[in-house]
Amino acid sequence: MRTLRSLLILILTASTGGSLLVGAAPPKKVNVVATLPNLASIAREVGGERVDAMSIATGLQDAHFVDPKPSYMVRLRSADLLLVNGLDLEIGWVPPLTQGARNARILPGAQDHIDCSARIGVMEAPSGPLTRAAGDVHPYGNPHYLTDPLNAEIVAAEIAEALARKDPAGAQEYEKRRADFVKRLHAAIFGPELNDLVGGSKLAGLALTGELDSYLKTTMVDGAPLASRLGGWMGRLRPYAGVKVITYHKDYSYFARRFGLDVVEFVEPKPGIPPSAKHLVEITERLGRGDVKMIITRPYVEHRSTDLLAEKSRLPVLTLPLEVGGAPEATDYFKLFDLLTTQIAAVAAGG
Amino acid sequence: MSIAHSWKSHAFKFAAASIIFAAGHGLCRAAEEPPRAADESVTQMRAEIEELKSQLRALKDQVDALARAQAGTTTPVAQVPAAPPPAPQPPPAPVSRAGGSTVFNPAMSAVFQGIGNGSFNHNRDGDGFSLSEAEIGLQAVVDPYARVDMFIAFGAEGEAEVEEAYVTFQTLPGGLQAKAGRFKDAFGKWNLLHNHAFFTVDRPNALTNFFGEESLTGDGASLSWLVPGTGSAFVESVTDIASTGNDVSFNARRRDLLLLEHVSSVFTLTSNATFETGGTWAKGRGGPSEALTQAIDDAGLTGTVVPSDRLAANLFGVDLTYKWKPVQFNVYRSVTLQAEGIASRRRVESLQPGGFLTRDTVNSFGGYLYAEYQFAKRWRAGLRYDDSEFPDDDSARERAASAVLRIQPTEFEEFRIQFKHTGRNDAAAFRFDGIQSDNEVFIEWIPVIGAHAAHKY
Repeated sequence: MRTLRSLLILILTASTGGSLLVGAAPPKKVNVVATLPNLASIAREVGGERVDAMSIATGLQDAHFVDPKPSYMVRLRSADLLLVNGLDLEIGWVPPLTQGARNARILPGAQDHIDCSARIGVMEAPSGPLTRAAGDVHPYGNPHYLTDPLNAEIVAAEIAEALARKDPAGAQEYEKRRADFVKRLHAAIFGPELNDLVGGSKLAGLALTGELDSYLKTTMVDGAPLASRLGGWMGRLRPYAGVKVITYHKDYSYFARRFGLDVVEFVEPKPGIPPSAKHLVEITERLGRGDVKMIITRPYVEHRSTDLLAEKSRLPVLTLPLEVGGAPEATDYFKLFDLLTTQIAAVAAGG
Repeated sequence: MSIAHSWKSHAFKFAAASIIFAAGHGLCRAAEEPPRAADESVTQMRAEIEELKSQLRALKDQVDALARAQAGTTTPVAQVPAAPPPAPQPPPAPVSRAGGSTVFNPAMSAVFQGIGNGSFNHNRDGDGFSLSEAEIGLQAVVDPYARVDMFIAFGAEGEAEVEEAYVTFQTLPGGLQAKAGRFKDAFGKWNLLHNHAFFTVDRPNALTNFFGEESLTGDGASLSWLVPGTGSAFVESVTDIASTGNDVSFNARRRDLLLLEHVSSVFTLTSNATFETGGTWAKGRGGPSEALTQAIDDAGLTGTVVPSDRLAANLFGVDLTYKWKPVQFNVYRSVTLQAEGIASRRRVESLQPGGFLTRDTVNSFGGYLYAEYQFAKRWRAGLRYDDSEFPDDDSARERAASAVLRIQPTEFEEFRIQFKHTGRNDAAAFRFDGIQSDNEVFIEWIPVIGAHAAHKY
């Protein structure tokens, strides 16, 4: 009995001492695990110093086919928030990870499982019956929505809300950082000049309803249409609006809509199905018309098909990342779009 | 498991699930439908009206802007015309994420294996083509605490069997997870695989010799613990307590529970490579071997000499797996090296000339090595070496070498062809109609339809 009592005292002392030590230490950061690097990058923008954000996949990986390694379960076990892209993009690897992580709060449907697609206006949602005869179709629509930087604003709001719920003491800071992120994002998309003149939110609203172009053309300021003041990522690509491109996978729909690219063909005959020789011949024939300016591919897909197409058509092949970390320069979400718009503009101008 | 299958068509799930479950689930709910449907359509109409309103507002503003522009007035900077209110929420996706009465139906999938096998040297009864197994999978979350996975297998002769059916409690504290029902026991790696997820067409000889034609399966409960404080290493302990119908290594008496402990660790060597080690101990009770029953029968002593069916039977397992999958090109290239060893230590009885039984201990071993290289997106080639004794006879030994080619047109389909050479010593040949040397070919086609849950790493 006496030993038991002394043991109890020892434990109590140790735990009190421990909590005193913890009290002295800086407050624990919110442990955010994102499935994809773009989500982690936005979480870092919103969370700042209060948040530890990491992503499971790297930018050099195909987000459809990440291996659900058990080490990710270990990471997820202590995660405070799990950010997923959603729309079934990660259906092959997130369910086994959440099922093995022993963290009830991040299971699908639970409070800390944040589906960042919840408020996104989804493109290409199939209507009518679905069949895998169409390849690897996404039944809820195209999941690559963060290739439109305006959607990052919606995702940032989602993340800020989740962080504020998780860490109420930081709520004000998260809101401040979110607003700042959106401000910088708008400036980067539309250019600082137009952004200051018209206001980022108004421009974003017009862009989302598809009215930005007519607004910029018809609104005169100092004798010139506002369009002449468009800068940033959109300004960079505006001279090449309607430029025809070929992409490897159907992952450029949102980007193309935002920046005026015309994706005329895919290297994959159907999503997820590698190209056959016949399909490559068909593409080569299509390229023979001479109106396509470039082939855009991904760092993680085979080069053979695109090399062959390039050789036959003498078109430049651009290997562009879809995610932060997919190229050495793409260190955050802003730098990713700097890289995408610069490279596409350079090739479009060269052609 | 080397491939991370991802099954995406929820639409199929909805369609197939609704057909199968309409009679039960759907129709039962039909009585509740009308008010809900009415509510939904009102909400939908409201949403449409809201949308039209906002479009109207946008048009009006646009007309205003045009009018001002046509008036030719240069708008001063301070008077940039008002634009429509920013960022109206885009309309929801056409495919509703709440799809009516089928939405709670389980994810359904179906897999079958068409196998053709034949021996080059011998006329065997089992040769020819057959639908070796068809599996129906039903998987769903029960409530916020549990999920159910259920797999019903239909064998070559059409007999149906619950292959696995278990409820998993995912919200236990302390890194624990519990399973109850029928499940494949956590003995090593291969034992947990469903037939369609094998690396080769057939099961390694060691598994067949020690567990029988089916996996070591139990009805009972399983507790798994993710051990904390191991850095990035994944360390898991699985404890199974189950009744097993296994009569190969055990006595198949359901009241003699099988206790099994499996500890595994997965280490991340580099971002491209992992190494997994595991150890298993299974403890049960063994019964008389077929040979003993035969010997007693031959001596005309059936009923007089009664062999024990509660002899000690222990199985030990070791498994090692190395996987290399370059993260950037993981769908194009990979290497898997896997080895498992099984040791059985069990008490056996043997009939002595005087008509009495003596007890002895048999220690027998078995194992396999498997190496696989994926050299293109759809192509994998593998080699397997088997070496195995039998749990009731350490003098019988068989060795086999196999080469397999696996072709996966998509994640939903696989074609395999396997060549296998088997060599047996006399004691082992005695168990296989005297066949000492055999050369076989297997051909297998595995299509998967529906929403089959992704496989473990």
